[in-house]
Amino acid sequence: MDNAPDGYIALPSDHGGYAVLRSIVRSGSDAALPRPSPVQGDDDDQFWIAVKYNGLRMLTRRSFLATSAAFAADLFAAPNDSKTPSAELEKLGAVALNEAKKHKATYCDVRIVRLRDQRVSLRLSPERGTGKTLAVPGVVESSSFGFGVRVIVNGAWGFAASPLVTPAEIARVTGEAVIIAKANATIQPQPVKLAPVKAYRDRWVTPHDKDPFAVPMAEKLDLLRRVTAEVKKNAKVFSGSAALNLRSEDKYFASSEGSSIQQLILQIYGNADATAVDRENNIARTRNYVPTQASAGWEYVPEMNLEENAQRIREEVLEHLSAPAIKAGMKDLLLMPSHLMLTIHESVGHPTELDRSLGYEANYAGTSYIARETIGKRIASQHCTFIGDRTSPRGLATTGYDDDGVKATQFTVIDKGIFRNFQTTRDQAHLVGDKESHGCSQADSWASVPFQRMPNVSLNAGPRDTTLDSLIAGIDDGVLIDGRGSYSIDQQRYNFQFGGDAFWEIKGGKKRGMISRVSYQARTPDFWQACDGVAGPSYWRQYGTTGDAKGEPTQINSISHGCSPARFRQINVLLTD
Amino acid sequence: MFTRDEAQKLAKKIIGFASFPECQVSISASEQAYTRFANNGITTASLSLRHNVSIMVSKQGQSGVATVNDLDDASLSAAVKKAEELAATAPLNPELMPPLGPQEYPETMDFDERTSVARAPEMIPHVKKIIDAAMKQKLVAAGLVERSLRVDAVANKAGLFGFHKASDSQLTTTIRAADGSSSGWAGQPSKRFSEIDSAMLAARAIEKCVRWKNPKKLDPGNYTVVLEPTATGDLVRLMAGAFSARDTEEGRTFLSRRGGGTLLGEKLFPEFVTLRTDPFDSRQPALPWTDELLPTQPMVWLDKGVIANLDYDRYWAAKTSKQPTPSAGPGGRGGGRGRGGATLGGGGSSLIMEGGNATLDDLIGSVDRGLLITHFWYIRGVNPQTLQLTGLTRDGLFLIENGKITQPVMNFRFLESPVRLLKNAKRVGSAIRVRGLEGGMMIAPALLATDFPLPSISDAI
Repeated sequence: MDNAPDGYIALPSDHGGYAVLRSIVRSGSDAALPRPSPVQGDDDDQFWIAVKYNGLRMLTRRSFLATSAAFAADLFAAPNDSKTPSAELEKLGAVALNEAKKHKATYCDVRIVRLRDQRVSLRLSPERGTGKTLAVPGVVESSSFGFGVRVIVNGAWGFAASPLVTPAEIARVTGEAVIIAKANATIQPQPVKLAPVKAYRDRWVTPHDKDPFAVPMAEKLDLLRRVTAEVKKNAKVFSGSAALNLRSEDKYFASSEGSSIQQLILQIYGNADATAVDRENNIARTRNYVPTQASAGWEYVPEMNLEENAQRIREEVLEHLSAPAIKAGMKDLLLMPSHLMLTIHESVGHPTELDRSLGYEANYAGTSYIARETIGKRIASQHCTFIGDRTSPRGLATTGYDDDGVKATQFTVIDKGIFRNFQTTRDQAHLVGDKESHGCSQADSWASVPFQRMPNVSLNAGPRDTTLDSLIAGIDDGVLIDGRGSYSIDQQRYNFQFGGDAFWEIKGGKKRGMISRVSYQARTPDFWQACDGVAGPSYWRQYGTTGDAKGEPTQINSISHGCSPARFRQINVLLTD
Repeated sequence: MFTRDEAQKLAKKIIGFASFPECQVSISASEQAYTRFANNGITTASLSLRHNVSIMVSKQGQSGVATVNDLDDASLSAAVKKAEELAATAPLNPELMPPLGPQEYPETMDFDERTSVARAPEMIPHVKKIIDAAMKQKLVAAGLVERSLRVDAVANKAGLFGFHKASDSQLTTTIRAADGSSSGWAGQPSKRFSEIDSAMLAARAIEKCVRWKNPKKLDPGNYTVVLEPTATGDLVRLMAGAFSARDTEEGRTFLSRRGGGTLLGEKLFPEFVTLRTDPFDSRQPALPWTDELLPTQPMVWLDKGVIANLDYDRYWAAKTSKQPTPSAGPGGRGGGRGRGGATLGGGGSSLIMEGGNATLDDLIGSVDRGLLITHFWYIRGVNPQTLQLTGLTRDGLFLIENGKITQPVMNFRFLESPVRLLKNAKRVGSAIRVRGLEGGMMIAPALLATDFPLPSISDAI
């Protein structure tokens, strides 16, 4: 402290020191801060504040600049009935917007995000040599806090991000984004064009009753103990495991369009798994139970029914181990929602992303068999209506606003088999002649660029009187598939091959015993035109995926795909290893 | 970025907050810059900074982990407290090993100053070169040029400390016909940004795109194939996890012996097939410590066709009275990560499949009838035990007849295990560093093999 240069006050970088700094900044002192540079001879444990004349200058060791977890919690806190963002967030957001304006950006947005993840897991497996059952726990919690700024300058996007959420850093990083935009503009065949959007000042929270992070760990572990104990009850089951995942995203968005939006988005999901091994025949099989994943709070956990399904997967993994192999050939398929979800994701969700169709993902995820000329054409049977939806209760991609500040919306992707609408963002809408974006912009972190991501894409339920049994009754030679297995699809979403978690033979209109070693392979437009029945609303379930990858660098996203069981005729069913 | 001293001081401070007798800290910081292009223009570019502290505490077999990216004392102390709360309620972990004492981590030369600071002025000329070359032939370019700088440090209460700094870069490009009727790809990962050769990559991708136009339909079936190095890496990389001693002894890998035991010591593959890991190979950055913080060393897993070693973690080694394997393990970081977050970075890769002296042209010249494959896409496991995989060919598939490339062929789906692929391998070319479309990296050679199953056709371009 004694070594502060002339005109500088040294403050410790602990909570007390930072509190002093915050109060100085809040008092309205000039926050026009220069690019920080190392101060010679400073102590790692301290940073310096210079108070000069009519302004406040801050010089710090950038990597030790204080950004406390307590600060993050304060920043996003607001009374439950609040409909506006916290004032602190708005002040920070304004720094980016003002800085961008100074640099003559025609657009700017900033996201300040705090991510929290908690994963609790338990595995029961035999100890080597003794055969005693060991319980191996895993308890991990992670959090991440930072901000990212996008600008449009000279018609091109620029983006930069940093984990240091302070006015100085926000201003500096906005400047970096401008530099990047200007460089990008040198090779820009078309300037970026944004569809209009209203300005909103709002606060949105995933509807929930109980904060899942506030639930004691002991309660979570007890649940997993009971689930895994039930799975492992039969000694023939080699191992049983279960896990619970909680995620929360506090997100503040401000844009030069005048929007200021604070959101809290929650996700909760879990699973129970069983593994059985036949050493004599060198076979291993698994069976898992994955309840529908949800944007919800802890109140959702009883609905997951993990314990209630543990016994069933214990019995089914053993049946799976000795289940006879499929006889390959053209068969009818009855796909349950826990499985069909992924088929929808891969063969309907992805090819209807506009950026993919137009070649913007050509270097990684590929392009699409669906083009703008496909609008109005048949790509599925009349039983198939798909809706893109970011408002669906408990959907994983459900939110109040997207990362362009567009209010969450619903739109028809495919109407009774006719292709109608691509998924779009503000900068894509004009490419299909739309006046508004469909609200599909999202980034997976403060450190990543928002771009077009899938909303929830769901298949409408069939008529009320179409039951699961009635669909099965119409199958002479077929397979019923539950759960996820292998999945692979080509770079234009034509040729796909999917496995599942468990398979049952359907013969003569009845579901028979389990079978094994099943995959099915099809060509997407043929597959969806082979759909001749979708069960009614009482069978509709909203399963999701929590690891969708897209973009370079890769971003991960979570999406729900609601559907009812559906029947597909004469699909190529394969015998695998 | 942290210097070694800063990281050590920070780690010491965090460990000082721990009341538990055992505390391990991992600190990582990364800076990533990239420029992405498509439809002959730049689409996005970014500079992003991330840092991350992971704290594990344990006491008498109970452990908990908390990870934060806040670096002030209050946040770090709160994170330690959170880890301790988690550990206090966690059940005893019977597989938790006691912490290691101080270790000697070997030096790796994974940092290149020029690579670590490359930005738009260095990247955009590469992008321009590729786009100009594409536009000259009325083609459409897409791609990514990227560099990353990463610092990792590990420390524990028993006095262990390690520090590693690495930089890496890559350029990939996909060139397509304007009417969507053809596609070609080329890519180059490189520890030195200065070695990225965009002219060569543009020429290669363009040539593939031009030559692949109007691909012909061939019947599905088993084919002799020549895999370019990236294609070989795509499949062989996925064998790495099967070398786990534990999974194998528990009967769950292709190295499990029917009835019990393992295939260690058995010759399963041709003489020229050698698979090893070497954290010090100058072509790939890799951490100098394993996932369990043991110092790494080169290891041979498959030696001239013979299963030479299995990968023992500390727990399984203790259970079986063996030594833990001092390698990132072919299935740990050795296989190379790439999904999520940064495209580069993570622990890098140290996996190597040995090559031979033949060139790619030599391999092609020795084929009566077969297919030349650029790389694969959307590879997923079908059977984890046999390693049967499925995926698609992409960006250039060509018929070879009497030692010459004669015509472009429509893409196929494959359904095969790299185990069977290697059993059917006949020759290898020289090995280079490769990166798959989904990010996995290794050093791999071109490979000639017979009886590769291609059971269905894909319409995709």
